[in-house]
Amino acid sequence: MARRGWVPLLILCACAPLRGPDATPSGLHLSELAGEGDAERRTSLDLVLQGLGEDASGRPAAALAEYQSALRLDPTNPWVYLALARHHVDGTQPERALPFLDQARALVEAQGSDSPRVEAHLLGLRGAALVASGRPVEGLPLLEEARALAPDVWADGHLSAHELQ
Amino acid sequence: MRRAGWLTLILGFLAGCFVGARMVRLDRIITARFEGQRFRVPSRVLSAPTILYPGLDWRRIELRALLIRLGYRELELRGSLGEARVPLGHVVWSKRALRVHLRGFEHPRRPEPPRDIVIGLGGSTIERIQATDTGRTLGAVLLEPEVVGSYYGPDREQRELVRLGEIPRHLVDAVLAVEDQRFDSHHGIDLRRVLGAALANLRAGSIRQGGSTLTQQLAKNFFLTPERTLRRKLEEAGMALLMEARYSKDEILETYLNEIYLGQRGSTAVHGVGEASRLYFGKPARHLAPAESALIAAIIQSPNGTSPFRAPEKARARRNLVLGLMYRQGRIEAVVFREARDEPLRLAARTPELRESRYFLDALRRQLPEVYDEATLTSEGVRIYSTLDFRLQRLAAETLVAGLEGLEKSQPGLVAKDPARGLQGCIVVLRPQTGEILALVGGRSYGLSQFDRCTQARRPPGSAFKPFVYAAALEPAPQGATITLASRLDDSPLRVDTSNGPWQPRNFDEEFNGDVGVREAVERSLNVATARLALDVGVERVIDMSRRLGIRSPLPRVPSLALGTGDVSPLELARAYATLANGGVRPEIRTFDDLVDAQGRTVARREIEFRRVLDRGTAYLSTSLLEGVVERGTAQGVRRAGIHGPVAGKTGTSDGERDAWFAGFTPELVVVVWVGFDDPRSLGLSSSRVAVPIWARFVREVTGGRVRGAFLPPPDVIELEIEPATGALAKRGCPVRQAEYFVVGTEPTLVCPSDWAERDPGFELDREADRLREGLLRWLKDVL
Repeated sequence: MARRGWVPLLILCACAPLRGPDATPSGLHLSELAGEGDAERRTSLDLVLQGLGEDASGRPAAALAEYQSALRLDPTNPWVYLALARHHVDGTQPERALPFLDQARALVEAQGSDSPRVEAHLLGLRGAALVASGRPVEGLPLLEEARALAPDVWADGHLSAHELQ
Repeated sequence: MRRAGWLTLILGFLAGCFVGARMVRLDRIITARFEGQRFRVPSRVLSAPTILYPGLDWRRIELRALLIRLGYRELELRGSLGEARVPLGHVVWSKRALRVHLRGFEHPRRPEPPRDIVIGLGGSTIERIQATDTGRTLGAVLLEPEVVGSYYGPDREQRELVRLGEIPRHLVDAVLAVEDQRFDSHHGIDLRRVLGAALANLRAGSIRQGGSTLTQQLAKNFFLTPERTLRRKLEEAGMALLMEARYSKDEILETYLNEIYLGQRGSTAVHGVGEASRLYFGKPARHLAPAESALIAAIIQSPNGTSPFRAPEKARARRNLVLGLMYRQGRIEAVVFREARDEPLRLAARTPELRESRYFLDALRRQLPEVYDEATLTSEGVRIYSTLDFRLQRLAAETLVAGLEGLEKSQPGLVAKDPARGLQGCIVVLRPQTGEILALVGGRSYGLSQFDRCTQARRPPGSAFKPFVYAAALEPAPQGATITLASRLDDSPLRVDTSNGPWQPRNFDEEFNGDVGVREAVERSLNVATARLALDVGVERVIDMSRRLGIRSPLPRVPSLALGTGDVSPLELARAYATLANGGVRPEIRTFDDLVDAQGRTVARREIEFRRVLDRGTAYLSTSLLEGVVERGTAQGVRRAGIHGPVAGKTGTSDGERDAWFAGFTPELVVVVWVGFDDPRSLGLSSSRVAVPIWARFVREVTGGRVRGAFLPPPDVIELEIEPATGALAKRGCPVRQAEYFVVGTEPTLVCPSDWAERDPGFELDREADRLREGLLRWLKDVL
């Protein structure tokens, strides 16, 4: 049994390079995930994307309403928490982003949705929240890590709603 | 002559002074009311809006009934759905779709625009939602919130204030046509009307017609009593003249339209055209059609005598009379008149307030900022956007009452002679991730008892407290966790000397089980094993864990605490279970999102707040234990009720079977059910037979029997096979194997069979190969 378990692994290893190099992952855009999951997850993500649109248009209250609806439909959707964290980093109480980031991390890890592209946002947003809350000593190294993981998004140390969308 | 002249003059002067003084007093009364707060407007609590989206089971949410409750009128389908003319607030159903012209609604964060949409149906599922104007497919649409209830003052008046500029002209015309056609030209009193009414009454030999103008009616309703005396009539006339002198016609008309009594909603008096429009047509006054405006005007004369609900024919006849007056007075065109006259009375479904929502309203009031005291809430017309899910609330109320009635039927001994001292219960439903209270029913009848057993009662939770003991024991401590899920516990007789004498816990079946596994102890709710574990962990750590999870009530520092002897409220128990369901993150309880004042300003807002209080691994292991209770333990009734999917929970029966609890959760809902008597006496039944069936029935109704989601282990929790009798790691050759979860680093050190390594020389090699394979899998996942 143990030996047979290696066969698909070896096939996968052989095929992996065919997918092309992806050495420098860019930051995750949530629109890439549209259509994944069950009806609640799909609609919830759709609402998150609308919320990001509202945030991008400078309507934070409307964005919050969208995120809230998204949570009502699918309270275990990690992307709602990520979007909420981003929303708070740009808001007047950036430290409020931290528990949302914890929740987002817990959910992506439990659901197996973690990847370097997600990690870049989790680290970057945490770093940005800490810096904006007056804790640069803790925040700046995290921003550096995010930059290293996704330089195209985190080069400026900020994740816009549009970039996450 | 001269003397008589003087006398007349003096008398005239005195009468003038008297009348003048009287008018000054009346004027003061008028200005005080007009310049101050004109109306007491009870604050209204609104539910969370319903979201429609592709994939939703529209039958389960009872979409048709919901639309009717919201005042949407059903039209017959003529031709195709796409071609049908569906006015705002109307809906057309076909076999495989419905077209609904949604009304927009105000919302403090994001107002919803009106939308004309087609909802495609496939069986009981919404297949697609499409905007009819653009043809664009929509991901989700929101229906307006439902009114949960209002905070009434002692007068129990409800009104929705409207501005003259925002109501249709035909509503004003209808009112003027029938109540005061010369309103625009008179100065408060219409002498022609007075004379006409007097003649008519003379002919009839009794008072049949009133000659009061609209301004006089307002004076009477606003300031005076309804008695028919000359003095009151004179005051009414005086006040009408004064009002007309002081205020504009528009101001008087607007005040009248908001003041006028227009019927009853149960025990609540409906005042003003805004509220009447909601009552009779389920929509705001600005969306009234001419026939509807005429109906409202028609019932002003006798709201109960011509109530369209009670006397539809009478109401329709009077409505048509009003339409005729409007036409004859040139206020509407002939075509409008004819169309409106032929319209049937299309009334909204009567939706009496859910009385059991009052428990929620009371709980919400306690969460409001202090400035919102009773006086403010009953008069200032605040709108509170609550977290309540109207459907869940209704289901919770129905399920609780049905459950308690069923119990009384099967156990006649539970029926109390005095209903006020009868069997009681409560249900509270939370969303664990956000702390929102979705439903709360604090008793079987609010009318009978306003005491909220979910938030105000504190009762011993019995074994429903045990998860906190196990969480404390599983949590990594500086000296290591006290147990893992492979640990063995001692369920043999125990005696603890306390200041109150010896304490000797016993199991429910009075048996001792000796050496037992952790899962067995939880699933069978073994008291002695749990008590011994709590002593090992320490009562302080158990209390600390309970506090962190969300218990706020005082807890006694005694060994019996482990068995749930400390009183808690169902709501705080729900919160503590929510923390477990939420992977160790404790939510703050919320009953509302936004509080909006009468001017539409958001004056208070509650955001989601939560805090990690327990590591994810321990929360997951605790949840996994509670899943076992549902699969194999005291809450198997949940499965028997036909609920599939992830469910965890714990039953609790207090000493003497006085309280029956079931605190259970899915990944998205926490539901706590309590059943007992207010003056504690024995139910004579365990929670498995009392609280579990109510819980299961509720959750089955809510989910349709299929619970969404999964309890997923965090990355630091691994699944291994153990030999359950010893807790040893099971390897090939071990006779009994059982999957179990461990936080990395707490795996068993013993191996079964004990001579495994000797029997299988490739053992170490195997372990190395496992590691390599896992590493490769991780790499592949990243690459792909």
